[in-house]
Amino acid sequence: MNDHNVYQTNNSETEETPEQAQQEREKEMQDDEEELHKLLLPNVHDLPLTPPSAIDFNFVAYFAPDFLKPGHDQYVYRHANGLCVIGLAPTHVAFKDEGGITAVDFNVGKSDRSGFKVTGKRKKNAQHFESNTAVCKVCTNNDSYIVRCCVKGSLLEVNNRLIKQPGLLNSSADREGYIAIIMPKPADWLKIKSSLLGLEDYKRKREECFGSS
Amino acid sequence: MANETEDAPTNSASESHATSADVERNPTDEDKNEKLLNDAVQFLPTDAVKDLLSKEVCLRCIFRLFGMQVPICSSLSVKSLLCHVLGEQADLHQNISSVEPNICRSCLGILQFTYCGDKERVVENESACDFAVAIAELVKKEGHQIDSFSLEVSMPPTILENENKLSLYVKRKYRSEAWFKDRSISECSSTKDALKFALTNPLETLLDVKCGISTFHIRLTYSRVEASIRIQNFVEKIEGCKRRKVDAKNCLDTVKDKSAITGVENSVVSTTEVIPVDEKSSNGLQDNEPSETHEFPLKKVNEPCRLECLCFRTPIYFGGRYLKYSRNVSQTRWIIDEERMGEASIEEIIGGNILPMCRGDSYKFHAAGREDIDVRMLGSGRPFLFEIQNAREVPSELLVKEIESKINSLENKLVRVKNLKIVGSQGWTLMREGEAEKQKQYAALVWISRPLQDEDFQTISSLKETVRCYQILQKTPIRVLHRRSPLEREKIINWMKIEKIAGSSQYFLLHMCTQAGTYIKEFVHGDLGRTNPSIGSILGCRAEILQLDVTDVKMNCFLTE
Repeated sequence: MNDHNVYQTNNSETEETPEQAQQEREKEMQDDEEELHKLLLPNVHDLPLTPPSAIDFNFVAYFAPDFLKPGHDQYVYRHANGLCVIGLAPTHVAFKDEGGITAVDFNVGKSDRSGFKVTGKRKKNAQHFESNTAVCKVCTNNDSYIVRCCVKGSLLEVNNRLIKQPGLLNSSADREGYIAIIMPKPADWLKIKSSLLGLEDYKRKREECFGSS
Repeated sequence: MANETEDAPTNSASESHATSADVERNPTDEDKNEKLLNDAVQFLPTDAVKDLLSKEVCLRCIFRLFGMQVPICSSLSVKSLLCHVLGEQADLHQNISSVEPNICRSCLGILQFTYCGDKERVVENESACDFAVAIAELVKKEGHQIDSFSLEVSMPPTILENENKLSLYVKRKYRSEAWFKDRSISECSSTKDALKFALTNPLETLLDVKCGISTFHIRLTYSRVEASIRIQNFVEKIEGCKRRKVDAKNCLDTVKDKSAITGVENSVVSTTEVIPVDEKSSNGLQDNEPSETHEFPLKKVNEPCRLECLCFRTPIYFGGRYLKYSRNVSQTRWIIDEERMGEASIEEIIGGNILPMCRGDSYKFHAAGREDIDVRMLGSGRPFLFEIQNAREVPSELLVKEIESKINSLENKLVRVKNLKIVGSQGWTLMREGEAEKQKQYAALVWISRPLQDEDFQTISSLKETVRCYQILQKTPIRVLHRRSPLEREKIINWMKIEKIAGSSQYFLLHMCTQAGTYIKEFVHGDLGRTNPSIGSILGCRAEILQLDVTDVKMNCFLTE
């Protein structure tokens, strides 16, 4: 930064030298940066101990206990934009088996759900599923269980990672272990919504699993 | 010939309009013009003139045919022109109506400054000056501040056909005449040129600015009322066209007046309506046309053309950078089900201050990328462009600085503007240039599910050293999946750095620089594992993002000079 050639202009002393101008600019930049930094730093006292997760924040959680079969508890997380993420609720009977879930197979019903590709904004080629359509099969050491769509709509995506990492269901079935993403029509959502339970009702129903608070 | 640009001579006392009142009465100029006119007129072959007049060709068309520049007669009425030409004084008054046609068959009244204006009123102007006054009034009424203007004229194709037929006729009839051989008929000017020529000087005088290339346009569009019928025929010929109905309606609309069509007594209108769509035979009107090409005299004209006079300025552009300090302000106006999202929008705050200063019709807002409503835009700001339509006034540099100060001193301090200035069309290219490659810098407030450890700092920053850049794979985030294609996008994280926050072990500031188009929020919380890797997967725990700020948009445009 230090110029070795000090260059003086011919005129009045009130004019800055380029060196001075450079220093001015740098000081200005420093001031700007400091101001910016002040804006960026939060007030520590305002920070919650544990913030709401992205899921808590952006989705509304619904539950379908005993979906078509006793013990087959599933969740439906609905985003504000209408998309629904479906998966296994923590009280699903599969989790009770020793060793938990060992394999996931999307090849159920008429086709392999993990195979198709949905393209474009309009989501062409998406399969239209009924709420009782099978999405996949989860296997444990003892048994296998069918996971259903729960919400009538277009199947946008299945969680392919579960094929190689079925353990995700055991560790985080409510996040990375989600099963699929469905896009229901507004009318279809309203129909199914009435048969689903909110978080509090679901907890109450499965009291024995959650214990008394 | 008289090509000099001199002030239009004042009208004779018999003219009742306050037309060239702006123009100084200069007797010597008047005399000069009189002399020039007389000289020029001397060479006109009176017989030919009378013949053409009898064929209902107007005097100014005759002038342009014989290469006489109309400007010298800008303020003269046809009456005085005829005086000069025909030299008759006595019973001129009575003969005028029988001499000069009601509507010229060649120029359809355009060079007679007669047209069908608003509300179907037929307007007749005595001279080019009078016509220019009407146009200038429109400019003034709109309150346009101009330093130049460009004059554009659009005429129906019939005019050109008529011009050709007319010159052909004159050539054939008079080619053996001496005066014809002396004068080259190619000197004749087109109707369009003649009109522009006639109007330019008076308009320059009235508006006090020069005519030339300009952002301010005066556009005169002449159209024939009967033209709509021809369009109708053409449209009906398009078979099996689903949009036929719409097209026909649009065509009628472009003539801008259905009542004009119904008002015309011609039976032509009714016959076109009767013609069934599938019929391949053309309507009688069109059949006649090819054979008419070489025929003279021209068809009689009952109605003058419709004139639409538009004066407008081409869009002007304001460029600059904006900062957004609020987490409740969207970039553009965002309304869902009649309810506004957020408390305000950048586009309305800035546009609402620029538009009134320009007295424009409307604005269009363009920005180099965007941020979510809950994300602040800080640092150097984001480049934007405002396109102002039909500004009545182009603000000075000083005024533009005032606009910037005004926005920056608004009470609620939601938005700040930097380097606001009027830019030319290069503003566009600057903004769009390499938009996809541009890098953006962010600061995110991140929480992790376990306390921060010393190794974490290294883990995060060393990625820059071990690999030149860090590539992530993002599936279309769930929050936009409903309106975007399901794709997997590769994005580059150029560098990352953790900044500890005093007083907290699980919160920290994450500074990062990424490729344009990277979803930062999803990179932090992982979007259910659909963005890989994510901060959570890198640090081996759960990560959430509480706040996001854009701290730099690395682009070369609209920077502080």
